[in-house]
Amino acid sequence: MALINVAAREIQCKIVYYGTGFCGKTTNLQYIYRHAPKTAHGDMLSIATESERTMFFDFLPIDLGTVHGFRVRFALYTVPGQVLYERTRVAVLNGVDGLVFVVDSSPEKLEENFQNLIELETNVRKMGKDLGTFPFVIQWNKRDLPNAVPTATLDRYLNRRRAPTFEASALTGDGVFPTLRTICKAVMAGL
Amino acid sequence: MEQLTSLVVAENELGSIARALGRLTLETSATHALLIDKSGQLIAAHGQQGQRDVIALGALLAGVFSSSRQVAEILGERDFHSILQQGVHESIFTLLIGDQWLLVVVFDKQTHVGLVKVLARKASEELARILDRVRAGSAQARDQVVSVQFRDSVSNTIDLLFQD
Repeated sequence: MALINVAAREIQCKIVYYGTGFCGKTTNLQYIYRHAPKTAHGDMLSIATESERTMFFDFLPIDLGTVHGFRVRFALYTVPGQVLYERTRVAVLNGVDGLVFVVDSSPEKLEENFQNLIELETNVRKMGKDLGTFPFVIQWNKRDLPNAVPTATLDRYLNRRRAPTFEASALTGDGVFPTLRTICKAVMAGL
Repeated sequence: MEQLTSLVVAENELGSIARALGRLTLETSATHALLIDKSGQLIAAHGQQGQRDVIALGALLAGVFSSSRQVAEILGERDFHSILQQGVHESIFTLLIGDQWLLVVVFDKQTHVGLVKVLARKASEELARILDRVRAGSAQARDQVVSVQFRDSVSNTIDLLFQD
């Protein structure tokens, strides 16, 4: 839930990167952390296992600075993607204002992507929201894979809502900032 | 696009919140007290936070609390309304307020946990009343802050900061 603190002159919104395990959610945030201006972000926090799999969430505070007298901040989160952390994903979604659905373009991940999207739709519905009208973008990640599923196919199976989509390769940074720009603007438009 | 639900905390309400946190910190001899939104965003703080990263603290504590609510569901409990985390030197008591805010009290061995719990619950009643007023006034107050020009300016800033 967006917070507008008039006295402190701050606006804070929460964006969650959602997707299957190993799809590139953490990689997105790591790229933003390394390449966004230092003044535009704080430290990245990662609650992960010893093998660096996200166990709870990654958190990256974004600070746009002062706009019309208000400090505008976005809190970027990722959810843990592994199947056993389904309940944890619900916990991280609490209070979300915008969603990025990160899709692993590997052919063997198509079914899992589909199931993950259904889970997201269910969780959003339980929050009293509709994914069709909520700030929501999709990132087709891992486009650098030689056998990546064509985006037209991914679009047909995973984007019946015609949400904005971005081709990306989070490891190299392709598509990361366009995704971020669009979801941030969508959240602001929804305020 | 659906309009996002947002809470707008007006200046006078933040003053009331600050006074409530100040009273709580004084009466419990806590090191500090925080009021955070359930999504982890800091609303107000009082006390000796010092160099602590309150932004990260808010995010983590909200995450912990959110996670505990999932545990409650699995156990068949309606909710867990509070969490106590006990450390060697300092402890943290977190209390849910009106399903929206979390009152966080950080205290050391000088303070008894029972006193913190009782006074935190008392403070939470006042904060719950403030939350009701904030909810009632949010829509109108939001329109005064978030104008078309504001959105355009934010959009330009986003483009500038996150260039490829």
